[in-house]
Amino acid sequence: MTHANVEIGSAGGRRLANTGLYAIYAVAVLFTLFPILAVVMLSMKQPSEVFSWPPTFLPATLNLDTYIYVLTETTIGRMLWNSVFLTACSTAGCIAISAPAAYAFSRLKFRAQKPLLLILLVYQMISSMVIALPLYRYFEALGLLDSHMGVILVYITVEIPFTVWLLKGFFDAIPPSLDEAARIDGASRLQVLRIVILPLAKPGLAAALIFNVIAGWSQFIIPFILIQRAEMLPISIGVLNFAPGQTEGEITIPYLAAASIIAMLPALTMFVLLQRYIVQALTGGAVKG
Amino acid sequence: MTSTSSSAWARVQDSPWFWLLPAGLFLLVFYTWPLLDVVRLSFTNASLVAPDYDYTFDSYRRVLRDPSTLRTLKVTFLFAGGSVILKLVLGMALALAIDAGVKRGLHGIVLVRTSVLAAWVIPGVVVGVLWKILLSTSSHGLLNYWIQAAFGNSVGFLTDPDIALSTAILANVWRGVAFTMILLYAGLQRIPPELYEAARVDGAGAIARFRFVTLPTLAPVIFIALVLITIGGINTFDLIMALTEGGPARATEVVGLRVYQQVFQFMNLGRGAALAVLLLAVNLLMTLIYLRLLRINRKTD
Repeated sequence: MTHANVEIGSAGGRRLANTGLYAIYAVAVLFTLFPILAVVMLSMKQPSEVFSWPPTFLPATLNLDTYIYVLTETTIGRMLWNSVFLTACSTAGCIAISAPAAYAFSRLKFRAQKPLLLILLVYQMISSMVIALPLYRYFEALGLLDSHMGVILVYITVEIPFTVWLLKGFFDAIPPSLDEAARIDGASRLQVLRIVILPLAKPGLAAALIFNVIAGWSQFIIPFILIQRAEMLPISIGVLNFAPGQTEGEITIPYLAAASIIAMLPALTMFVLLQRYIVQALTGGAVKG
Repeated sequence: MTSTSSSAWARVQDSPWFWLLPAGLFLLVFYTWPLLDVVRLSFTNASLVAPDYDYTFDSYRRVLRDPSTLRTLKVTFLFAGGSVILKLVLGMALALAIDAGVKRGLHGIVLVRTSVLAAWVIPGVVVGVLWKILLSTSSHGLLNYWIQAAFGNSVGFLTDPDIALSTAILANVWRGVAFTMILLYAGLQRIPPELYEAARVDGAGAIARFRFVTLPTLAPVIFIALVLITIGGINTFDLIMALTEGGPARATEVVGLRVYQQVFQFMNLGRGAALAVLLLAVNLLMTLIYLRLLRINRKTD
């Protein structure tokens, strides 16, 4: 106990504790970034370097040949576009559909309110694998397998529960007196949502946007089961068995590495740019539920 | 627009169903209906390719008698359990370290937080591929080369059935520890500083304060994180598919993979559905526990 007091008291002790904290930070950052950096380095190696022993962390030369090859000579470019399309459409659709529902849960009183919110919470916990089995049958019967439209509808559905909860939390934080003032001035509820609530809930919309983009970009089970034609696949599935052209075995490794980096880059960039909204949403709402 | 029609329009907007209709339709058609249908299918001997089937308990009987079901469940719970313990311990350490750093005004906190969270944004498949490349025993496997240089022999992270599950847990922890950290960090912010002051006055050291103030106050948040991570672990599919495909020797075959195999490789829809219902039951059970915890939380707030 005296030990702890010394730690707080003396300047030397404080410096020691700070050094300890910095050491923890260094380990955490290294643990996180090392795998990414190692694969970035590998992606810049020439195929021949992969066979050289001992393996090195850094490539012999920094070049982007593998990236150029992967983007121009393989289907990755096409898959990247598919991912962008699926993610953009499902994100826009999900927010457009979830915002009115969140409004009802936040501003209206009705008997089914609590049970419905609970059902949303339950749906959020269920593996997509469970619903993907019957969906495969329906889509096959309807000729919707391999259609982006069908997949987008399912993406939207699985993201609705979380998005509604998230937006409801942000709507709840807006004082209802503001809507009432607008209602007295003759605004309808739709106008209130558009003119009062949505502009004030911009951080919430930003959080919903990021979460939907990240989730859409990472979707795996649904496209894995509902899409089979290679040219329709999103990149999250494209990297799974990525092997360019006629290459085989070891030679594919730098290309696979490049494809993985390409696959994570869009979501990563978006996250770094908008991360404060994620942290805000996670620290504000997720625990309170 | 006449005043009567506009007032009718306003009345429509007073109804909750007006607002809930689009979301409700999506959930009914693409979620509730398939959910009920998978339960129905689990009581059939349906195949993915043949159109006709009969109703039977046979799928359940076979699934429950199959020793590989038990093994799959064991693998799933070991995977989820291992992930939970490591994520909680490491997430707690990180949350405390960041909390302490913020209070001491240390530099670089945002950098730490951002880089740890970055792993959480990467698609699960890509996480699997990253670690597969990194831990390979082939000539490009950097980590194994270093291990070999230091200890004399390489480790079959992905090829040794006794180690592969631990490898999968490691990759999963790498991906998800940031989420736990953020949850716990948020919880730490809500502990009243007076509690720490009082403990300090009573002569409690750092460890005693953690043991008698932080842990008990944070307990509800810890339990909620525990349930959320467990559900995430049980539902994992993409990461393992990319990392090991369930191997070697099925050492990493979690429930999701087994469902997929039954249906899309053996075309056995009935048995796959029965397994999926098993997964669903576990999901529902965990959600029930989660809800119970939320209610306790709200009462103590």
